[in-house]
Amino acid sequence: MARAARPVAPRILRALLLTFFSALFVLYVAGPVAWLVSSSLQTEAQITAVPPNWLPPEMNLSNFDAILNAAEREVTYETRRQGDPATGGFLPSGAANLIPSLWNSLTVGLWVAALNLLLSVTAAYAIAVIDFRGRRATLYTVLATRVVPDIALIVPLFLVIRNLGLINTLGALVVTYLAITVPFTIFILISYFEGIPRDLYRAARIDGCGHWGALRHVYLPLSLPALVASLTFAFLTSWNEFVFALVLTQNVAAQTLPIVISGFVMDFTTSFSFVNAAGVIAIIPPVLMAVLFQRYIVSGLTAGAVKG
Amino acid sequence: MLAALNRRFGYDERSAAILVFPVVAVLLVVAAYPILYSFWVSLHDIVLTRPLRRPFVGFDNYLRIFEDERFWLAVSRTTFYTVVTVAVTTLLAILVALLLNEAFPGQRLLAALLLVPWATPSVVNGLMWKWIYDPTYGLLNALLVQLGLLDRYRAWLGDPDLTLLLIANAAIWKQMPLAALLLIVTMKAIPDDLYRAAKVDGANVLQRFAHVTLPALRPGLMLVLVYETMISIRHFDLFLIMTQGGPGDASFVLSWLIYVETFRSLRFGTGAAMSYVLAMVTFLLSWAVIRWLGKRI
Amino acid sequence: MPIPALTSPRRRILAGLLGTPAMLAGIGSGPAAAQAGGTLNFVGWSAAVDQVKAQISAFERATNIRVNYENFPWAQYRTALVTRLVGNAPIDVAWISDAWLPEFAEAGWLAEINDVPQLMRYNAEAAEYCTQSMTYRGRQYGLAYYGDHMSFMYNTEILQRAGISAPPTTWEEVVQQSLRIKQQGISDYPLLLSLAADTWLIEFVSALTFAFGGRFTDEQGVSVMADANRGAVRAAQFLRDAIHQHKIVSPGAVETPEINGLRAMGGGAHAFGIVPTYRIRALNDPSQASAAGKIRIALMPKGGPDGTNATCGWIRFYGMTPGAKADRARRERAVRFIEFFGGRDTSGNYSMQRLLLTDVGLPSCAMPLAQDPAVQEFWQRWAGGGAIIAQQAGLAKKKDVISPWFGEWVETANQAWQSVCLGRAEPEAAMRSAGNKWTELRRAFR
Repeated sequence: MARAARPVAPRILRALLLTFFSALFVLYVAGPVAWLVSSSLQTEAQITAVPPNWLPPEMNLSNFDAILNAAEREVTYETRRQGDPATGGFLPSGAANLIPSLWNSLTVGLWVAALNLLLSVTAAYAIAVIDFRGRRATLYTVLATRVVPDIALIVPLFLVIRNLGLINTLGALVVTYLAITVPFTIFILISYFEGIPRDLYRAARIDGCGHWGALRHVYLPLSLPALVASLTFAFLTSWNEFVFALVLTQNVAAQTLPIVISGFVMDFTTSFSFVNAAGVIAIIPPVLMAVLFQRYIVSGLTAGAVKG
Repeated sequence: MLAALNRRFGYDERSAAILVFPVVAVLLVVAAYPILYSFWVSLHDIVLTRPLRRPFVGFDNYLRIFEDERFWLAVSRTTFYTVVTVAVTTLLAILVALLLNEAFPGQRLLAALLLVPWATPSVVNGLMWKWIYDPTYGLLNALLVQLGLLDRYRAWLGDPDLTLLLIANAAIWKQMPLAALLLIVTMKAIPDDLYRAAKVDGANVLQRFAHVTLPALRPGLMLVLVYETMISIRHFDLFLIMTQGGPGDASFVLSWLIYVETFRSLRFGTGAAMSYVLAMVTFLLSWAVIRWLGKRI
Repeated sequence: MPIPALTSPRRRILAGLLGTPAMLAGIGSGPAAAQAGGTLNFVGWSAAVDQVKAQISAFERATNIRVNYENFPWAQYRTALVTRLVGNAPIDVAWISDAWLPEFAEAGWLAEINDVPQLMRYNAEAAEYCTQSMTYRGRQYGLAYYGDHMSFMYNTEILQRAGISAPPTTWEEVVQQSLRIKQQGISDYPLLLSLAADTWLIEFVSALTFAFGGRFTDEQGVSVMADANRGAVRAAQFLRDAIHQHKIVSPGAVETPEINGLRAMGGGAHAFGIVPTYRIRALNDPSQASAAGKIRIALMPKGGPDGTNATCGWIRFYGMTPGAKADRARRERAVRFIEFFGGRDTSGNYSMQRLLLTDVGLPSCAMPLAQDPAVQEFWQRWAGGGAIIAQQAGLAKKKDVISPWFGEWVETANQAWQSVCLGRAEPEAAMRSAGNKWTELRRAFR
């Protein structure tokens, strides 16, 4: 009897610990966003109630309705909205820009994710695997491009993009974000590649593989978790970026979500609940993607381990 | 010609050159010019309100900022903020990585949830926390009062002793997932055999963590420390949205000082010089971490 | 990662990469706008967007000039604009704050209009302080978008409930009445001051300083702010006492931006407040504020022994870039645009000024509008009459710290004021540090 009980007790303890920490985790990670979602479904009067309504007293979808159904309209003396939108009740005039900017963000993010991986994988392989002169120097040089504060780069970057004729285009953002994501992606991949046993590489070379072959047949298949992490990293970095997008874009043709949202906030056009709704809209697409591609992301992270 | 090159550089070197070239090309176009340009600016006395004179002053701008007391104030604020953010982010990330590395029902759901803070654009993140800290309508006040931990509402961000910690909290919440993800990825590389061997040897959970997990986390920790340091030490967005350097000078960090110097004072020369000091420090810190935790690099 | 989803965005991005004109031109083009009149690039911050767009539609129809209108959030406007000006972006006309005029003029980013009689003639009909606020070293740099001042507002209902029959006329009375309201439990912090470290702060503290009979600088531009009698010290002392001794102002004031303060006032949380005058429209609009109909304006109370009813006024204006002025066609478009917006439209009406006032509440610099029945009706409806507002406007003084070093100085000044509010610095010491910074910058500029 004692023998049967021994494995059970630790198992229960483990289950309890896991449940406890999982609950803490969910509370910490999802709590603030849950509050954001709850606020976005309340009216201005409800969210400024003291004490607050933890849950919306009733579902008020007017903010989302305004965002999703806001059509670009011609504004004339007849169609203009009156009143100071500052105190709520009025929707900011930029509401119609939210969905187009969401597409801009999505487009830029996907391009950056894909190109970033293409560029980084080869460079990371070369630095991690091949013994060549200047290996270390290459890595440090690449990393060094990311240590200068963004504020110092705003004006010169604007000049570069202007000379390329790319101001207010999505291409400007893709190129800029690549310069931001590539250095660190290379770093991630190098550190992963280095963990892959050298014997596998030697075996591939002995089998007659060149570097291209070794990368394709040995390193890529074994690096699924790192590749998934890199894709996610690049997409979300470009999804997040704010300062460069602010100066490189001018209007809804290229403005990304953070720019449009910041326009609601730091201005005379805020209603708290509307801003919260805009924030929720900004979080949904990546999370939706994470859920849709959860199979690849999560299993990419949980499987594909190197058994060396 | 090609044959000569081939003789001089082996197959390895030529392959490396070809494989690295695309990255170098992109960085040359977008990154190199702005970086060199701002360095050039840092060597000139450029004040935009005096457009006709921009003399070359060598390293005078650098000397000038070291005499500026605002600079040292900002250095101490930045140091505090960076140390707190990096340390707490790393610790939390280790805990989360250990949790998600276990196999249990619901693990996948938690892994998907991990993306939520990360997917929150920093603009939204700043607004969300500002909304939570709000002195009149905020969740934090309501929660603490309802739990009986606070007897009246407080202006959280208005308290200079708390401002930096509250901003750090918002940053940590957002940055932790990437750090955890990088650690999880490295943990995947730990062969199960090692755990089994340790178990057979009678090692308990803590011993296994200390002797198997922690050493194997080294590469992941290196990534996390380098990235989090780079991000935190230069962090700007949250300061812009949440406090603008205030109240008083409570959140007057270096990146904010550089912003003020460049776009408010229009002193591009000293602004760029400050940027370069910060860049050098960031680089040296990253270099030290890589030397400490890196293997071949 | 969902690479397949790329098919439709791909075309968009390729267009973007190739820089197709449609992409570059962006949207916002009037459908019928012909290219014949050319295109004008106008940059503003995102305020009164609908009014600007409506006026642009009218302008495009009247002139055949197409307007490429971009707006940025106010908080990032200066950064975005400076980057574009340094990078020589083809901006023709931009909204400018009076506080930036000397800096921008010295940097060569603004063109004077003294040699453009078509615009200068509007000075005859403009309020004196507006024209002064657009003038630097004897040269004028534009026409006004709007001109406003800080007003002292009070909540009639709260005063009534507290048994107070008349609004305060001095800041000492403000304290007494506030304490009475506080003791009766009607409001925790009867006096609203929004003192977050943003661009409004200098306008709030200037208003208070002027009401206490003080100044920041004298006629010659020499700092007097640290002077105990004619400087800003009394106003700073008042702030410190109001927050820490009387506790009639929330300690959260240092993190309250103007907009949040406005909301709290509209929510009926405060009895008194210093608020930009144009906000009266929103505060008395039942669809926007629960205290609507109860907010009234009194003359700025006098403070201390040398108190006055003066307040701080400011203007925002349409400025033309030197690049636009140097090119004949661009110059002509820019001048017509500025006239249509800052002066009279092609039918001879101050249509934009009137629209801004009646829609948003933004007061105009154009004096003839004061006689306009629609404008009089506006003040009657939203402020219970315009007499006090007009009287206060006459007592508004422009910020005496506007200078080529304003952007740099104001950072130090903001920190000094906030330190006083936080109780971390003595008023005299704080004003002395702000004054020293002023003197140092002024000396360095010469």
